[in-house]
Amino acid sequence: MSSKKVISLVLIVMLMGMLALTGCSGNKGEAPNADTAVGEVKVGVLLPLSGPVAPIGVTSQRGYELAVEEINAAGGIKALGGAKIKLITADSRGDAKIGMSEAERLIQSDKVTVMTGAYQSAVTYPSTQVAEKYKIPYIVPSAVKDEITQRGFKYTFRTCPPMGWYTKAQVDFAVEMGKKTGKPAKRVALVYENTDWGQSAATAWKVDVPKAGMEIVLDAPYPATSSDLTPVILKIKQANPDFILFTSYTSDAILLTNGIAQMKINSYGMAGGGGGHADPEYMKNTGKNSEYHYDLCEWSTDVGKPGVKETNDKFKAKYGVDMNGESANCYASMYVLADALERAGANDPEKIREALSKTNLSTTNAMIMPNTSVQFDETGQNINASLIMIQVRDGQRVTVWPESAKNPDFEAVWPVPKFEDRK
Amino acid sequence: MNEKNIIAKLRYPSYYIPALAILILIFFPFLTNNEYIVQVGIMVLLFAVMGSGWNIIAGFGGQLSLGHAAFVGIGAYVSTLLFVYLDLTPWIGMLVGAVVSAIFGVIVGYPCFKLKGAYYALATIAYGELVRIFIQNTNQIGPIDLKGAQGILLPIKGHSWFWFQFDTKAPYYYIALVMMFLAILLCYKIKNSKFGYYLAAIGDNQDAAASLGVDSSRMKVYAAAISSFVMGIAGTFYAQFLLYIGPQSLLVDTFSTEIALVGIIGGAEVMGPIIGAFLLTPISEATRILLGGRFIGVHLVVYGAILMAVITYAPSGILPYLKKVYYKFLALLGDPQYQDYRTIKAPAKGLGGGIK
Amino acid sequence: MGTMTEATINGLFMGSLYGLIAVGLSLVFGVMKVVNFAHGSLLTICMYAVYYLVMKANWNSYLTPILVVPLLFIFGYVVQSKIINPVLKREFELGGGHAVILLTVGMMLVMENLCLLFFGAYYKVAQVPISSLTLNIGNIVISVPRMIAGIVSVILIFLLYAFLNKTDMGKAIRATGQDREAVRLMGINDFKIYNISFGICFIMLTLAAALMIPMYYVHPSAGKIFELRSFVIVVLGGLGSLNGAFLGGIIIGLIESVTAQFLSATTAEFLIFLVFILVLLLKPNGLLGKK
Repeated sequence: MSSKKVISLVLIVMLMGMLALTGCSGNKGEAPNADTAVGEVKVGVLLPLSGPVAPIGVTSQRGYELAVEEINAAGGIKALGGAKIKLITADSRGDAKIGMSEAERLIQSDKVTVMTGAYQSAVTYPSTQVAEKYKIPYIVPSAVKDEITQRGFKYTFRTCPPMGWYTKAQVDFAVEMGKKTGKPAKRVALVYENTDWGQSAATAWKVDVPKAGMEIVLDAPYPATSSDLTPVILKIKQANPDFILFTSYTSDAILLTNGIAQMKINSYGMAGGGGGHADPEYMKNTGKNSEYHYDLCEWSTDVGKPGVKETNDKFKAKYGVDMNGESANCYASMYVLADALERAGANDPEKIREALSKTNLSTTNAMIMPNTSVQFDETGQNINASLIMIQVRDGQRVTVWPESAKNPDFEAVWPVPKFEDRK
Repeated sequence: MNEKNIIAKLRYPSYYIPALAILILIFFPFLTNNEYIVQVGIMVLLFAVMGSGWNIIAGFGGQLSLGHAAFVGIGAYVSTLLFVYLDLTPWIGMLVGAVVSAIFGVIVGYPCFKLKGAYYALATIAYGELVRIFIQNTNQIGPIDLKGAQGILLPIKGHSWFWFQFDTKAPYYYIALVMMFLAILLCYKIKNSKFGYYLAAIGDNQDAAASLGVDSSRMKVYAAAISSFVMGIAGTFYAQFLLYIGPQSLLVDTFSTEIALVGIIGGAEVMGPIIGAFLLTPISEATRILLGGRFIGVHLVVYGAILMAVITYAPSGILPYLKKVYYKFLALLGDPQYQDYRTIKAPAKGLGGGIK
Repeated sequence: MGTMTEATINGLFMGSLYGLIAVGLSLVFGVMKVVNFAHGSLLTICMYAVYYLVMKANWNSYLTPILVVPLLFIFGYVVQSKIINPVLKREFELGGGHAVILLTVGMMLVMENLCLLFFGAYYKVAQVPISSLTLNIGNIVISVPRMIAGIVSVILIFLLYAFLNKTDMGKAIRATGQDREAVRLMGINDFKIYNISFGICFIMLTLAAALMIPMYYVHPSAGKIFELRSFVIVVLGGLGSLNGAFLGGIIIGLIESVTAQFLSATTAEFLIFLVFILVLLLKPNGLLGKK
């Protein structure tokens, strides 16, 4: 068979493929524009819905869904004649290149006027760049990498705190507990997974911990996909720290927590920073082993704010699990968006951006978060975003710090009881 | 053949259909105002280039590689670092990256090529993991900031041919199109050279080839060098196109598998990976868009099932089967050259086992 | 010093378990000359089977093989005879060697994602009483489920070794690995031997899964983590060699556990693959491989 014939055959396949594609685009390109006119605000949601981080992607998606349901049921966006918010979800597979490609598709094909997502910093970081290019506002409710808002982008708005605030709050908490109880932590162990997230936490810790007069006695990165984390646990045992800081995804958080309990490694306290430690699966799979663990996070079911209980009840009735930090973040971010849409008065990315940048919101259900208002600085960072420290008590996540958000029925236990003395 | 002749021949379907296809390929960015569709087009072309590169060592040389993403990654990182630190234009960085990638290709290939069986496949997996773990955990090499797991965002220089960055997708599309045609040309030249015959002989039966005096290790090393060179070029394009490179997306094993799938499903011929890319990439996009959010993982089930079906029922890849259909189609359109194919039911014969 | 001892003990136990997981891969390669890229996802399936029996039917994890082993042996037998053998048969006729490998890549994609579809992307841990049991000798703490896993793995590998060397069926399997044609001339159906070998691979994986459930989580990609280790282990020990798989497992387990005490866990991961490349360079047939 001559190669010329083969070449022409290949070209035919290309032709058919391309025609099919353009055919699709024709259908997709026109209809959405018309829809938008009759009262629909399309929001592109980018989340990891498959791959190892999928559980957190699903949790986040539920937060968005519940908020949008409520907003739409309450009459939609009144300034837009009762327009409904419509979520268009895309799967990033937790992969930066797919995330970027999906952002492109949401903006170009689905004609979304606002983007939100993408949970993982490694996906959010490049995908916000796509949105910036197309001048589409991008609300970041849960990706913490500092640099996301440090690039001079005008269309990126982050409602949650950046990484630097997390690590600082963890250290502040330990210092405060030390002063309060007279048992200050001196020796700190850093245990973190070695992707983007863990590495940026470690970079910030290495500044904050020595600054607070504590010594780093262990710096232990580990691969998130480890088959055995016992070596890491043994290192912790060897280092004998007073305070252990974690940055972990779900599977590794489970293995570490169970392993530490089994080895009975005692310290004044152990604190996670959201992610795996905040995943409901984590609590379910560690049982008693996670008792007294601290976790620095954005939200808890007992945050003393109006609307928290009702919202969580609704969430639980719908999905069978409590809300967590990620879903609350995403939930609140939709109320921030709704507020901006009301003030923008038009389903136009430019106007929405302007309205978002002028946000000063201290009402609606966006306030189920511990902060008292939402305001963005010129980098797009919510300057009022705040964090809470929870402690696991009798299998419940209880807010113990700061004083302002604290659950009145509980006091932080520091140092935590030795494993040998627990029942 | 003079000009007049070609025009005269255009009345036959076997000429005007390919001509039409080329026209569509060339004008594709103008056929849609949806940049996402053009983006899919670019990914198709890029996968065609990568599949062709993979095919040189795996299809022609019979050495299955499941770690080719590493070579793409090396090309991307080298050109990007040159771009970021030395302000070197990515066009030159692309060549440097490709050469470095080729050197690495030889280093990883050389020890394995003396062995038979699956060693090369396993070594490429290990090698790919080594590169990923190294980059993921290395923030600093001397003055160079590798940024570890964070990955590198390329500085945005605006619309500029010099900096290989564009505001629209069309220039990327045309660069990828040219790259694809060059890759086809390269594969065609290799296939029809002495080197290509040696490779084919080695792929068929290494011992028999050796007894005829073919230095199989050496041939395979050459093939590995050329193959990883092509991957390096594709890597630079990838970096300039997405403006972001990172170990979690560029160096993962699934990316290697995707590259290999394009070549395998197409078949071990010059045009195999091209066909593979034109079929698989749209399928991958379509399944993710249609099903992705609702049924987690369905797209990859479909992908795997297609692979299993092709391996079971079309061992030489789908190219020979498509050919049959195409010739029949030409015959039905009345092309006199292809009237014989009107009645033929089964493909004349497999192409000798396809991927070995 | 205590930590070092603990790390070494942990390395040995995990290493034996790695060996048990890798042994099926090595057996399949030894008999069919095929590297099974679906090995990890097969392990995932076994883990789900054991997990559900433990959680839903309240079985003791270590007793689950009574029910799961026969089921999955049949499953393995059928997969081999209906899916892999046709391709293998064709490959024998036409020559070449990668079609079956690619078929297993396809199987891996299908099975891993079917798990995702049916069981969801949630991490599941079976917290059974034995999970948190420890043995304290001085200041050395040994995890009981790990100890059981390590010791039972050694016994199981030994039993498989004995089976292959002492029984008629075992000898037939080994002979098929050495010379398929000769075995066929002796009136043995070589493809049936393949089915049985693949079934045995499933048995070993199921037993490994039963040992792992009390101390590990189940997730659609859980098996994949062990698969990569298994590849390294079988090449390290010598493709097709059972003793080699065991030795390779121990070496990897020790590297992972002990070097992580001096260096970081990520460096240990890097080292594993570095050792792999070095073995390919210096002793390509593995430490205990033939030739």
